[in-house]
Order: sequence, then C-alpha cells, then structure tokens
Amino acid sequence: MNRSILSKRATLTALAVTLPAFALSLPPMRSLIAQSMAWHMVIQMPLLVLGGWLSMRAIAHKRPSPWNQYGLTGFFAAQAIVAYWMLPLAIDRAVVLPQADLLKVVTLFACGLLLRHSFERSPALLQLFFVGYTVSMTTWLGIYFATTELRLCNVYSMEGQTEAGHGIVLLGLALGCAWLLSTIQRVQAQQRSRFA
Amino acid sequence: MDRNSSRHSESAARPEDLLKTFGASVFVLLVGLGVIFDATDRGSGFTTEALRRTEVAREPRQIPNFLLLDLDGKKDSLRRRLAADNRVRIIDFIYMRCRSVCSSLGSVYQQLQQRILERGLQGQVSLLSISFDPAHDDAAALQDYAARMRLSPAVWEAVSLASASDRQRLLDSFGIMVVPAPMGGFEHNAALHIVDARARLVRITDYDALDQALDAALAAKR
Repeated sequence: MNRSILSKRATLTALAVTLPAFALSLPPMRSLIAQSMAWHMVIQMPLLVLGGWLSMRAIAHKRPSPWNQYGLTGFFAAQAIVAYWMLPLAIDRAVVLPQADLLKVVTLFACGLLLRHSFERSPALLQLFFVGYTVSMTTWLGIYFATTELRLCNVYSMEGQTEAGHGIVLLGLALGCAWLLSTIQRVQAQQRSRFA
Repeated sequence: MDRNSSRHSESAARPEDLLKTFGASVFVLLVGLGVIFDATDRGSGFTTEALRRTEVAREPRQIPNFLLLDLDGKKDSLRRRLAADNRVRIIDFIYMRCRSVCSSLGSVYQQLQQRILERGLQGQVSLLSISFDPAHDDAAALQDYAARMRLSPAVWEAVSLASASDRQRLLDSFGIMVVPAPMGGFEHNAALHIVDARARLVRITDYDALDQALDAALAAKR
C-alpha cells in the first residue's frame, strides 16, 4: 500500500521532469533551445537525463542484471552518449536537423535510464570514478566554452556560448555536490541500520 | 529501497555474468568511439566550421549560380563575373549594417586590398564581398559601404543579391549559418573563401589569416 503510493509519486515526478524536457524540442518551446545555448545545454540536456533517471527510479525493478554488473555497461554507454552531445558539431546538428534532435532526446533520456540502472548496482568506489570523471570533464568543458575566443557553435552567438559555459561549470559542480551528499546520506543510513 | 540496492551491489557477481558485462562494456565503448570518430571526420574537427573547412580542402565545392546586384544597380551572374577576368576571388559575407565582426572583416579586407596592390597581384586575385542581407542592402547601401571602406574597384567589389529569395540558397551553398545577434544584427561563421574562376570553392581560411588566404588564392590560380 505504502509502496504503491510511493511509486505513483515517483511516476508523477518523472513525468513532471520528462515532459517539459521533451516539450523543449517541440514548437513553440523549441525556439528557446534554438536561440539560447544555455537553454539547450544547461537546461534541456540535463533535464532529459534527469527525466530518464527519475523514470527508471519509478520503474524501480531491482533484479540483478547479468549485462550490467556493477553498472559498468550503463556507465560506459552513458559516458559515450554525454561525450557525443558535448561535441559542438553535434549541438549544431541538433538545432538544425529535426532527426538529429530526435536522436538527442532519445539518447539522453536513455542515458538517464542507464545511469540510474547502473547507480543501483555499483559500489561507491566505481561511482566515484565515473562521477569524478564526469564532473572534471563537464567543468573543463564549461571553462573552455566560457573563455575561448573561438566561436564553437555556428548556431549560437559568442555571448550565448560564454553564458552557457558558466552554466555548464555550475552544473558540473552541482552534480559532484549532489553525488557527495547522497553518498554521505547513504553511508550514514547503512551505519545506522548496522548498529541498530 | 536504497538498502535493497546496496545489497545487490555488494553481492558477489557470477563469473559468467561478469564476462557478459565485460563484453557489453567493450561493445558499447567501441560503438561510442566509432560514432564520435565518424562524426568528427576521423577526429579532424569538433566544430561544424572545422569540418566545413576540411571538406572543402579535401574536395573543392562547386558553387551554384546567383544573380548579383552591384553598386551601379546592375545585375550580373556570379559565374559570368568570375569567369570574365579569370581571377581567383577571396569571398566574404557581410551585411552593411554590421558593426561587429564584419567591420573587422572590413579592415581585414582593407589590409588585403593594400597587400594585393603593393604586390601587384590585382591581375590574379581580387576581393568580393557578398551581402547576405539583400532586403536591406541595395545599390545605395553598397555605394555607401564602398565609400566608407575605400574600396579600390580594381581589387575589391561589394555586391548584393538581386533576388532576396536567393539568400538561404547562397548561405547553404557556402555553408554559412547566420544567427540573430543582439541589437538587431547577425552573427555568422566569418571566414575567407577562396573561389576560383570556375566557381569552385577551393579553400576556406580564418578571416584574419591574410597571408594564408593570399597564398591559397595564388595556388588556386596556378
């Protein structure tokens, strides 16, 4: 009884994040990501991943997966997806070509699904490795976007690029902090249950 | 819920499952690297602009024909203009209202103009500025621009499109993307485009790489 209420709330939360993230790729909201690199990279892309993450949490099946032991496969796949969508040329394509944008929506949502699936199956040490890598990659990319003289995306202005760069740095740091906090909480909860 | 999950992660994995995961991970990594390798043209460029330049350097691109408008109000086709004097053109894209990157492009063109005259290359290389804002840039705007930038007609011509509907086709044929910028302006991937007398785009260089552009133009002439 309690469990079904919980999963209903989880489903609603997942929908509340996923639907706006999808809507940003459809008119009339599409103009936001077409005109602003920050809306595209700092808001829509993370929302898509978060939507996938929350959706997998709502599905909440915890059976062991032989293809994703310790969450390794999911981590590699998620890393590859994120690396691809950090390429300036991929960002251009997503704005110019609707089919590329569809690919972006599907793969980043899948990235979130995979990440959640993997996090549930991986020890904190492995998580640290992947989170650490992602945070450093994101922060470096953000600093580069914010400081380079080169205009990286043909579809966005220099100003928009600097703005997005700052946003990406903040996003990377927030991601690291969120992981750290949740890990500390989990360890504390484990210790409490062990000594109780 | 969380406690359940941590129990899973701590349970020992069966060896055959580890093998499956290892295989799947390697597969996923290879596919990911392959896709990125392909998308970046074998790692040669991470931006659309870099790929555009590599593609053109590898294989010249045929530019379609356009009806141009010059500062006397005369209409003439691009192909005819290029073929007429058999010179290589260094082409840039501008809009006359522009005060940011185009004005630096303008000063780059002033320097290029001076260098061509100094080296006496005007029989081989010339400069062509094409407006991508034909709705605003008519013959009068071109005359104004020519006066402001001190165009030497033997070396540097500024033209607009005779038909505003050709604008997108022109930009697409060169691979220029124009986005609105603050204060009603535009921003675009500014560069120097080397186009030979047969209307083939043979090279694209940075817009401040004067010598490189001149060398490429002279090489295309030979």
